[in-house]
Amino acid sequence: MTRRTLVLAGLITALVLATLASLALGAVKVPVSEVIDILLGKGHGGPNQQIIESLRLPRTVEALIVGAALGIAGAILQGALANPLASPDVIGVTAGSGFGAILIIILFPGSIALLPVGALSFGLLAATLVFVFAWSGRNKGSVGKVVLAGIGMLSLFTAATTGLLAAYPDRAPSAIFFIAGGLTSSGWEEMQTIWPYFAVGFIVALALIRPLDRLALGDDVAASLGSRPQLIRLGAGIAAALLAAASAAIAGLLGFLGLVVPHVVRMAGGSSSHTYVVPASAIGGAALLAAGDTLARTLRAPIEMPVGPFMVVLGVPLFLWLLRKAV
Amino acid sequence: MATDHKLLSAEGIEVELGGKQILRGAALELERGELVAIVGPNGAGKSTLVRAVAGIQALSAGRVCWSGRSLSGIRGRELSRLRAFVPQRMPVPAGIDVREAVTIGRSSHLRMLGRLTGADREAVDDSIARAGVGRFAERELTTLSGGELQRVQIAIGLAQEAPVLIADEPTSQLDLGATIGVAGLLRKLVTEHGLAVLLVVHDLALAMAIADRVVVVADGQTVASGEPEAVLTPERLAAVWGADARLTEHDGRTALHVAWLDTAIAVRAP
Amino acid sequence: MREKLATLLLVVAALTALCLPSAAQAAPKRIVALTPFAANTLARLGVTPIGIGQTLGGNERFSPKLKGVEVLPLSHPNGPNLEQLASLDPDLVLSTRTWAKGNQAMRSLGIRVVVQEPVSIAGAYADTYKIGMLVGRKTKARALLKSMRARVDAAEQGITKHPKVMLILGVGRTPFVMLPSSWGGDVVEHAGGELLTGGVRSGSGFERISDEVVVAEDPDIIIAVPHAEADDIPSLAEYLRSNPAWSSTTAARTGQVYISVDNSLLQAGTDIARTIRKVRSRYLKN
Repeated sequence: MTRRTLVLAGLITALVLATLASLALGAVKVPVSEVIDILLGKGHGGPNQQIIESLRLPRTVEALIVGAALGIAGAILQGALANPLASPDVIGVTAGSGFGAILIIILFPGSIALLPVGALSFGLLAATLVFVFAWSGRNKGSVGKVVLAGIGMLSLFTAATTGLLAAYPDRAPSAIFFIAGGLTSSGWEEMQTIWPYFAVGFIVALALIRPLDRLALGDDVAASLGSRPQLIRLGAGIAAALLAAASAAIAGLLGFLGLVVPHVVRMAGGSSSHTYVVPASAIGGAALLAAGDTLARTLRAPIEMPVGPFMVVLGVPLFLWLLRKAV
Repeated sequence: MATDHKLLSAEGIEVELGGKQILRGAALELERGELVAIVGPNGAGKSTLVRAVAGIQALSAGRVCWSGRSLSGIRGRELSRLRAFVPQRMPVPAGIDVREAVTIGRSSHLRMLGRLTGADREAVDDSIARAGVGRFAERELTTLSGGELQRVQIAIGLAQEAPVLIADEPTSQLDLGATIGVAGLLRKLVTEHGLAVLLVVHDLALAMAIADRVVVVADGQTVASGEPEAVLTPERLAAVWGADARLTEHDGRTALHVAWLDTAIAVRAP
Repeated sequence: MREKLATLLLVVAALTALCLPSAAQAAPKRIVALTPFAANTLARLGVTPIGIGQTLGGNERFSPKLKGVEVLPLSHPNGPNLEQLASLDPDLVLSTRTWAKGNQAMRSLGIRVVVQEPVSIAGAYADTYKIGMLVGRKTKARALLKSMRARVDAAEQGITKHPKVMLILGVGRTPFVMLPSSWGGDVVEHAGGELLTGGVRSGSGFERISDEVVVAEDPDIIIAVPHAEADDIPSLAEYLRSNPAWSSTTAARTGQVYISVDNSLLQAGTDIARTIRKVRSRYLKN
């Protein structure tokens, strides 16, 4: 019990630090005292205030929400599919979102505002197709079928995306940034369209925490306790799809988070109970993405690098170190 | 009056799985304070029968009533307070210790995001004590032996605080010592704690020793129900199992005597 | 009579005095130019921007009048770093469609963004005038245009021949043919080249083709423009120069496969006459 509490306390501290760093650091130097003033509403106007309020604050909030969403998506998928390699990639959402976004970038560059819509719709489409295939025929909704259908969808959309990129190589650079995964300072607009999907995803995931624990003891015990195993899996799939597609719509393809963060919190806290893993993955994911994003836009300022590689740089050593201790 | 109703009353149970008719009109009853052993050859439908009455397996026909109420009208959470189902082998998740697992067994008593109350914690402690797993309550499930795990599974079921415990072949994969332990636990639950237990077993000598009543399932139907001595006669053993065998009880021990190499009795067609 | 005249003059003077400041207020003072075309045009109109954009590893040429102006590095997908841009507090940003995402973000910050992407010499004239109007230098713009037109006309004098030219954009090793509706295509046609298109149509001014089409068209001259990261340009140029797939064309056999490494055929520049002359003397030899 206490080990878990310690880990949670550590994660929350990391989250607070990462948030402060994200707000205080950037291409333009804004003194921390001024940052705090602006946040408390005592700003003096001018470009610094605009930078903090219209650029850094929305971006930080996006990083926190997307990081939490991906962490949760990975945690509930790993629980529902009883598979440590499960992540939003496995149910085809990431590849579908990637295709939808690249479609807009390459074929309709004038309507770039539609990018989140494209990513969201194709991400959800891919997940829906995976569930339809997995729930048909015999062995409805079995884990094996979901994973195989997900891999099939992943291959399909990855191939389609590669085909698009090959056909229009001149438009590839804008697409690369999306594929590598990155946040951009675009104000509140994107979040204003996408937040309902996050909200629904978070709520469903929250409701699934106890049912997933029951599922961990097997379908029969879950049924004995009054749950319906296939419904839990379906619900987890839907919540994960919503969270992952919404995340891709805003931040590109950041699959790594959903796979690794739940494992890191499990190994650190020594517990697989979802009442601990799901919230811890949310906090850990948010902290990791906020920290990674801050690094990505300050290391080579004013050039902004895609954040995907940074999270790998921050997360993989931690993951490997914990792995050595755990095994 | 509620006491007029049997705890469980099921008849005409038919179940089809994967195109095959597994159960074709089986029946089962359970009263308070009795341990009923379900026996029969492999593929007879014993597991399917108990899963059907537990509400875990869908029926194609038949009626199941728990305390006079039709199974179809009872929702999941309510059903979990009427019976606890202990599967033969549950998956053993990493990172969960015994106490956590038993607490999960208690979750049907908790509101959606509700916290554990004092009563809930007591129930968990109680289940752990009754199942005799207190010695290793803080150990992770992955570190337990077969027998210890089976007891934990029973503890998880006990946490539901249901009057009926249904156990599907809890002893089939345990060694002699562990089997004795689980057998004793199940008997104690009935005798000392007033539970009703429905138990699927292969071991006929064990069934005779601990069961108040034995139900024989063969070919998808219940062919006999009654006291062990009355049901498990040599004639029955020959007819249902195709065995030249006899059950005896002497000095507090039961034994199954089998003519292993005698092929005089025709082997039953599957 | 004299009094009436005086009153009239006073009224006119007052009105003019009132209009002038508002006209001056209407003209943006703090301008950021994200393309060399916009930046150099501003310079030639006598307006100094507060910031100019330069792509990473880009080799755009800027007017010497722009020395000392803050340079904003441009990268996908936003273009300039928005924090850096916001701290300059611009009234107007001259941008292109390439930075569509960034344009949207800038607009949501309340910055006025005008998108221009001239893909023909006529379009360059129009956009030059438009910039003049935006910054309140209409008269200067008209004069500039007059001199631009005169110089371009002069550069087009005495064209002796119209060789068959294929203008190819090499995106990595994939050939794209540049059409008359592209900047480079328009320039080459003004320089007297007969642009071969391989029968391709496109809305964007260039279209992907295969090397076979190049061979089938058999141009007299091939002008190849390598498009890659700055470090990779030399090796790509080498590849294009001696591309075996084109070896059977008249251009290759007569040693008339040329590589254009600067941006003059890729994006609009302000010294159009010079570009035309260069194309004529170096490539078309007419």
